[in-house]
Amino acid sequence: MIYDIRHITTFDYGRQVNFARCNLRLKPIHWSGQTLQDYHLSVSPAGRTAPARAEAGLANVTRLVIEEPVRHLVIESVSRIVVDRPVPMPSASDPTLAEIAAAARISRDPSPAGPAAYLFPSPLIPLDRDIADWCAQELQPDRPCLEAAMGLARRIQEEFAFDTEATLVDTIPHEAFVKRGGVCQDFAQIMITGLRAAGLPAAYASGYIRTLPPPGQERLVGADATHAWVLLWCGEALGWVGVDPTNGIWMAGDHIVMAIGRDYAEIAPIDGVVLGSGAQKMDVSVDVAPVSDMA
Amino acid sequence: MASLPAPSLLDAGIHAQRWIAAYCQQPLHGDVLAAGRDRAAWTAMFEELAAVAGDDLGHARERVQRHAEDIGTGFRIIGESDERPWPASPVPLLIGAAEWAGIAAGVAQRAELLETILADLYGEAALVRRGLIPAALVGGSPYFMRPMVGLVPPGGHHLNFIAVDLGRGPTGEWRVLGDHLRAPIGAGYALENRLAVSRTLDGLQSRLNVARHAPFFAAFREGLAAACRRVEPRIGLLTPGRYAASYTEQAHLARYLGLLLVEGDDLAVLEDRLYVRTIGGLKRIDALWRRTDPRMLDPLAFDSHSRIGVPGLIDAMAAGEVVIANAPGAGVLESAAFGAFLPALAMRLTGRDLILPNIATWWCGQDGALAAVREDFDALLIGPAFGVAPLGLPGGVALHGSDITGAARALLLDDMTRRPEDYVGQEVVRLSTMPVVADDRLVARPFTLRVFAARDAKGDWTIMPGGFARIGDDSDPRANVMGEGSWSADVVIHGAESVEQVSLLPATDSVHIRRNPGTLPSRVADNFFWLGRYLERGEALLGVIRVMLGNSIDADAGAGLHSATVGKLVGLVVNAGAAPHPPSLRRSDLTQFARTALEADQQYSSVRWLNRMARGIGQGSRDRLSADMVRLLDAPMPTRGGMLDRAGSLQRRYAALSGLSAEHMGRTASWRFHDLGRRIERALVVTRALWAFGLTGASADDLSTLLDIADSQISYRQRYLTGIARVPVVDLVALDPGNPRALAFQIDAICAHMKALPVLGDDGMDEAQQAQAAGLMAIVSTATAAGLDADMLADIERRLFALSDAVARRYFLQGAEPLRAAGMTLA
Repeated sequence: MIYDIRHITTFDYGRQVNFARCNLRLKPIHWSGQTLQDYHLSVSPAGRTAPARAEAGLANVTRLVIEEPVRHLVIESVSRIVVDRPVPMPSASDPTLAEIAAAARISRDPSPAGPAAYLFPSPLIPLDRDIADWCAQELQPDRPCLEAAMGLARRIQEEFAFDTEATLVDTIPHEAFVKRGGVCQDFAQIMITGLRAAGLPAAYASGYIRTLPPPGQERLVGADATHAWVLLWCGEALGWVGVDPTNGIWMAGDHIVMAIGRDYAEIAPIDGVVLGSGAQKMDVSVDVAPVSDMA
Repeated sequence: MASLPAPSLLDAGIHAQRWIAAYCQQPLHGDVLAAGRDRAAWTAMFEELAAVAGDDLGHARERVQRHAEDIGTGFRIIGESDERPWPASPVPLLIGAAEWAGIAAGVAQRAELLETILADLYGEAALVRRGLIPAALVGGSPYFMRPMVGLVPPGGHHLNFIAVDLGRGPTGEWRVLGDHLRAPIGAGYALENRLAVSRTLDGLQSRLNVARHAPFFAAFREGLAAACRRVEPRIGLLTPGRYAASYTEQAHLARYLGLLLVEGDDLAVLEDRLYVRTIGGLKRIDALWRRTDPRMLDPLAFDSHSRIGVPGLIDAMAAGEVVIANAPGAGVLESAAFGAFLPALAMRLTGRDLILPNIATWWCGQDGALAAVREDFDALLIGPAFGVAPLGLPGGVALHGSDITGAARALLLDDMTRRPEDYVGQEVVRLSTMPVVADDRLVARPFTLRVFAARDAKGDWTIMPGGFARIGDDSDPRANVMGEGSWSADVVIHGAESVEQVSLLPATDSVHIRRNPGTLPSRVADNFFWLGRYLERGEALLGVIRVMLGNSIDADAGAGLHSATVGKLVGLVVNAGAAPHPPSLRRSDLTQFARTALEADQQYSSVRWLNRMARGIGQGSRDRLSADMVRLLDAPMPTRGGMLDRAGSLQRRYAALSGLSAEHMGRTASWRFHDLGRRIERALVVTRALWAFGLTGASADDLSTLLDIADSQISYRQRYLTGIARVPVVDLVALDPGNPRALAFQIDAICAHMKALPVLGDDGMDEAQQAQAAGLMAIVSTATAAGLDADMLADIERRLFALSDAVARRYFLQGAEPLRAAGMTLA
């Protein structure tokens, strides 16, 4: 499948801001099952952009500096990407959870693609006993890893309500857990909390998902938003496998990975500092349009 | 000693012997005095102590404590707004030069080993790839900063200044308890303890050939300077601000080392270079000794929520333009779990065993270690592997296995099975004891020793001779039980071959003479300006309150002023925001009104509120204020006597502060801003008083009140033998440039400050604040007392506000409030 993705972020400031420096992590990364064919970033009013030198997570980072005073800022990120990713097939011969936990502990891979850093709590995903206990019912150490991952994802999908009013971007996982509601970010964070509590390496993926139109209706343009899900490292042979607790499905042909990190804070699509005072209003629109069904 | 001892020294010798004998009679195990080999040195030290304190050990303790308070040592418990004095013990820990040499060699070896490991972890990571360090050991640390990977620190080193905690076992062997690589606290306290003790025991220095601290600090500063690109670098100490627990220490170190004390807001990065915002514009900074959490350093590189960071700082570091000591990410090696790997790493990387062994450590994430720790559970300390509390140890501190029982034990064992990587087991270290003074006698307490190491200009490690001994609260000698300890002692290394008399004061011929020293950060200028305004406002408010109540509040006569005049005085207080309008001008209401203006806690602009603001600024400006001034600013509101007594006591305090700033502050830019704040505030007070009491139709009470508020009664009587009359009163209070309380005098002083302060342009044109001052000058110098009317006074008041704004715009930090662009819509 080939997708054209248009991701537009608009900032309106109550008063003129004088100096903005941002990190943009909008360009999808190179990842198994997806190939970026074309990419274009435009910023209005134009600022200076340069690749940033290092990052905490796996992301393509661009540093944006805007020196002229602005009240209105538009950042438009356009990608054409080929996705060809098979659906994982759970099997009884998959490594068990205990085996992948042990393999992650002794990993010699220091890179951000290695499992080690994802074993541990991170600023937005602290250890949490309640979530750990709830998730542990799906995470028996001798269970094959893929089966267990999907079991937990489906359980979250079934027992949690999708509710855009329940949480905010900085809601801690515990609060969403108690409310049994939230959005993709909350579900991903809850699942990661549970996996890490069981000693498993779990990462936070941000990106896009193709929204399937209901039969007989036009696909809603611009109604989509950025999406988030979970990657579980399943040993050297299987590597990272994606699972989407919001929809209870595997990451496969409908998911496009933009960036991967320990949590959202490491890979926020846009963050940074602007100098000014007054309110900030942000508006995001995302459009993921299939170009053709042929990969 | 060649000369005959004086009789008091004979007594001192007797006291010392008796103290030591009594001390050694206690059941002691591995005590440094009772079992050590340095009895002669300890005896000499106690003789010095007895020479100043007689037979009274409690007195000795008080003396050291008083010196410590004089020096201004203090620390803050997180969550408390007031500082506590640092408790210093009068009895230093004595260590002989030979024993010390082993410790110093061990710390230097360790520092270099840690540097080598850091260079690898943030470089090739070959130690991880070869399996010598598990990747999880790195990734588990909250202080591993992945954005630092591949960045070679300018100057070539990750570490410039570290501290190592040591414990001494009962048989005299030293072991490493922990490393401090991010922002080691305590070097300043070591310095202050030394000052306090050497002021008390001034003979000790020469008698025991005590090694001095100054060369160590000089070497550290030279080491930082050597790493910089510019030959005469400007070096800052980056503080998180005055609410940090060790802010006083930071201020003290900045002053001692000649570093600019800066906060994140003071700094800006432009074109990959770091600058400090000063009253003279942006000035380059070449190196930062950071005391902030590394994750907060740069919102673009690390935590984007940081409001105390400097956007772009790490880019500047990567470009080689800023040295940051220590490099962000050094803290990754602080994890207790590293202790399990250091012995093997030392052998592998240096070909030698650790000179100072680590306490034996097992990281449960390693194969077999979990089983071994479970086996020996009751004999071990069970602790967090990293600086994060695991689910099984919610307190986040190591506990004795045998102390963990019941449900907590089951929970811990369960979590250790699920997440073994979060735990370490460590041997239980027994500490030897040292003498401290408690209840006027010597008792034995366990101690740990913090040793400091710094890199010198050649890149070699130099060790501070001495350090910081922390003393346990009770006699339990198990290392972890001690916690932070509540007492500290100086550590004296004695018997060195020769002690060079080095001070940090540089040789005179190597320093350029600077009449207006240093660079004043804009934030500091802002603080001093407002310190001046708040103090002056408080002083004026007290004056108005006293006039309003008459100076006879405790008598039953009443204020004695006409009610119209009293009403205007009330109006001045209300307009200043110090108290809401009283229901009537009756005596009881006025008294209540005055009490509010004086002491109401939540009242904006009450004297208490102004005091609190001034005190906050004082605490945040310790590196630039005299200890006397800080003490006056820190003093609590008076509570004794009636209200008039309390007001009087406050007035005396204000007068003392005013005197100190006039007579004892150097005529530096910071003094100018302080005085400018005072002058502008005083000009405002006088202008408002003229408007209330000096216009046509003013009564005799009004005019007398005006003279009172302007503190000019005596000047008036000396000048005019006739009675009170409006025009001469107004002339004296408004226009007489010879009256130091007059408006004209303030404007004169303001103009002088404006001339002396730096301007940005070199075109000779007045900047806005200078033009405002000149405009005021023109009005005041051409006005006549008879012609000074309400409109003119309103105009003067407006211009004073405009001047204050212009000063703020030109010299202070403005509008740099960062908004974060984060938070996307997610579905």
